[in-house]
Amino acid sequence: MTRIVDPVLDDLRQKILRMGSLAEAILQKSLDAIFKRDAALAREVRIDDLEIDRMELAIDEAVLRALATQAPVADDLRKVVAIKMMATDIERVGDLARNIAKSALRLSEDPAGELPDGLRILADESRRILRSALDSFSQYDAKRAADVLDDDDVVDERQDDVIRNAIAGISRNPARTSQEVDFILVAKNLERVADHATNIAEDVILVTEARNVKHASKLAADPGAAEGDGDG
Amino acid sequence: MTTISRPAERSQLYLTKITTRDLNVWYGEKQALFSVNLDIERNRVTSLIGPSGCGKSTYLRCLNRMNDVIEGCRVEGKIALDGDDVHGEDVDPVQLRARVGMVFQKPNPFPKSVWENVAYGPRIHGLATGRAELDEIVTTSLERAGLFAEVKDRLDDPGTGLSGGQQQRLCIARAIAVQPDVILMDEPCSALDPIATARIEELMEELRARYTIVIVTHSMQQAARVSQRTAFFHLGAVVEEGETGKLFTDPREERTRDYITGRFG
Repeated sequence: MTRIVDPVLDDLRQKILRMGSLAEAILQKSLDAIFKRDAALAREVRIDDLEIDRMELAIDEAVLRALATQAPVADDLRKVVAIKMMATDIERVGDLARNIAKSALRLSEDPAGELPDGLRILADESRRILRSALDSFSQYDAKRAADVLDDDDVVDERQDDVIRNAIAGISRNPARTSQEVDFILVAKNLERVADHATNIAEDVILVTEARNVKHASKLAADPGAAEGDGDG
Repeated sequence: MTTISRPAERSQLYLTKITTRDLNVWYGEKQALFSVNLDIERNRVTSLIGPSGCGKSTYLRCLNRMNDVIEGCRVEGKIALDGDDVHGEDVDPVQLRARVGMVFQKPNPFPKSVWENVAYGPRIHGLATGRAELDEIVTTSLERAGLFAEVKDRLDDPGTGLSGGQQQRLCIARAIAVQPDVILMDEPCSALDPIATARIEELMEELRARYTIVIVTHSMQQAARVSQRTAFFHLGAVVEEGETGKLFTDPREERTRDYITGRFG
């Protein structure tokens, strides 16, 4: 039986998947701009990001309409809310890609300068995590989403590596401070991409298992935390 | 056996207003309820939801023994109001129905004046000694039902001349006038427009400070809006009961999910 709400949910799902694909593509483009020293590519990123912003607005509108007209409950409701939250995270990925593209523009002025290996590894990791998070949503795969949450620590470590090496590089050769700072900025932005991917994975767990795992480890570590039952 | 008397001050000691244990109901050969166990919490609105014929109205009618008047209806099991069995030998069903009042789907005021509609109950139950006291009860009841301001100048007009929403609030005032503990509502808004519905819903929220309310509704959104607890009935049994917000975001049972999201059938 097809319910009236089904095509509405399906449309939202298609929209967010499209937005996710675009975010992946724009992140890829910004990283290509870095590693290929391609200023033209870097400039395209800004234009592409506007499309992501437009898609976010379209999803906001569609979410409001879905809530108003369908009054979804249970897993339907969780899907709508998760898609709204995901749109926010994906839009941020677009902004981060734009930041990376800005660094790419500056770095393209120094085509002979060497790029740190750690940055490449971090870039691959962040891209992979974003892909996994979006895949876990498209397949409603809680297991895969949980793996994304575990992988976030790896990215943090990679980021620290890049930052440590960049600081060392500045001490060795202060003339290259500008480039090294851009490596730090790119690493920071990539680490943030992975954070947003983590948020998306958390949304997938909310949809599939009705569990809100946001801040779970942080809150569990807080000795003053007491869980309310939400009753009353 | 303790007599069901009212008002029951001692009842304030309990969080649970009504306890239902292993309740089975038959209409002739046909069993309508199967071993229902359900607690109704004090000063809360509890929604009973479920498809037509699931037994929710049958359950509601057990709470004030309205099923007694249905021929061939047999009730087994225990329903306790503040710990006292409503089927106890000393229990007068008329007194019980004053303590557990009822509002029906279709507003059904008596073909009498607004004032008479409200004063009738307290008078036959001997709750007032004279006209002044009755006047006071009528005013207070109409106020609590959110109707007084609208009808204060036409208390002598026929109740049936009011709008549908006003008639339903008049019926609520009539139930309140005999000092109930519990108000049962069987789809009280299904014959009302959205504005009258909103007024009844707001009223429920106000009334629950004094009364325990049990409502049967076919509107999932109404259940979600007005109640703190929700019980889902299916095929004469309680499938799931719980905090309303939880039940509508993360139902425990698949059957509940299928019903509230419209996947049923």
